[in-house]
Amino acid sequence: MTFDIDIWIQVAAFTGGGLAMGFGAIGAAIGEGFTASEANIAISRNPQMSGDIFKGMLVGQAIAESAAIFALVVAMLLLFTNFSGQSVVAVCVILAAGLSMGLGAVGSGIGSGFPAGEACAGISRQPAMSNQLTTNMLIGSAVCQTPSIFALVISFILLFSDFSGMPVAPTWAAILGAGFAAGFGAIGSGLGGGLVAQTSCEGMARQPTSASTVTNIMLLGQAVTQTTAIYGLLVAFILLFKGFAPSESLGAAMALMGAGVCMGLGAIGPGIGEGATARSAVRWIARNQEATPELTRIMLVGQAVSESTGIYSLVVALVLIFVI
Amino acid sequence: MKKKMETIRETEKIYCSIALAFAVIAGILCFILALEPIGKGLILGTLFSIINFVLMGETLPMRIGHSRKKSAGISFLLIFLRYGLLAIPLALSIKLNRFNMAATVVGLFSVQLVIMTEHISRHIKMRTQKKQLF
Repeated sequence: MTFDIDIWIQVAAFTGGGLAMGFGAIGAAIGEGFTASEANIAISRNPQMSGDIFKGMLVGQAIAESAAIFALVVAMLLLFTNFSGQSVVAVCVILAAGLSMGLGAVGSGIGSGFPAGEACAGISRQPAMSNQLTTNMLIGSAVCQTPSIFALVISFILLFSDFSGMPVAPTWAAILGAGFAAGFGAIGSGLGGGLVAQTSCEGMARQPTSASTVTNIMLLGQAVTQTTAIYGLLVAFILLFKGFAPSESLGAAMALMGAGVCMGLGAIGPGIGEGATARSAVRWIARNQEATPELTRIMLVGQAVSESTGIYSLVVALVLIFVI
Repeated sequence: MKKKMETIRETEKIYCSIALAFAVIAGILCFILALEPIGKGLILGTLFSIINFVLMGETLPMRIGHSRKKSAGISFLLIFLRYGLLAIPLALSIKLNRFNMAATVVGLFSVQLVIMTEHISRHIKMRTQKKQLF
């Protein structure tokens, strides 16, 4: 059996499509399952509110599903587009697009399930806050989707840009690195953002007078949580658009792929850690509004410290790209 | 259960009718501006987004009230069906030039966009009213 480049491109398209939808389905399924499980608990606690809880669950699940629909879009593009190319770069472009979107949808899918589930619990606890809880849940869930949108942007850039004029080596490695940076980089921020939004729904239901403060601090906490996904996006952009001199050295190629993997994996922990920090701050601000300035300050300091490992990853990734 | 379904149907009716109205108006505008593939793509995507959302709600009673195994099986089949349905407009827009792919993707998110817009506009309205009161 002989394999020419067209067959490899086809193989990459099928594999990339499978990776995009396979990984992409994990997050949304867990998130939607979490929402439904919380809805069950909420209905058993307050059966009279089952209509509103069902409604909250349905709306929350519809938003949590967005990341999986992004993955479906990329998977369908990979499966039904006739790709052409002359080199292994085209194979890597297709694989990286699938990887970026698939991995990038995991965190957002799980994360946006957290506020949806907590909103259902909140409706059962505080029926009068039903509308405000749903709005807060939707805002929190929407912010959770941003890392998966970053991954989608990188996938689209990979699929719709022309890389044929670039040298095969080390471009193939830079492209795969970009897929890893954007994909892995989105996981932590999606999850962390979900933790913050979850507690804001809880706080709002426990202490309705704190609603607007809790929403504002949730948005601040989520914004900081997104920064590591932005680092992943930044490294992906550099890897895609810097333009590298031709080199047959495997070391140079591995340095570029390593930069993407380093940034992507390095962003997971800080994203979740920052989310956990903001989660506690939002929880206690809801209970003790007078302490808002101090708790916000401590939250931001804690997030900055948690972010430091993400910055180390960014520095190492930049060293791998520009120095080695 | 009947009452719960009424609440869900009411929700579906509101969001789906707004999404459909938006798609039809945007589609007509696109036809007037000679951007037919965009209009067709938007309407196609919106239709499937509505079908997906309605299926999500209408199949809720099918998923509850059974044994755990049966509920899990039914849920899995329904997810498979819904994602299979969402794949149809995407495959059509990739294969046929009559439908613009980007517009189809936007259409697929129309229900989600309507949900977000409705809640956020209500939130802003409530805040403005509160500010006026105090």
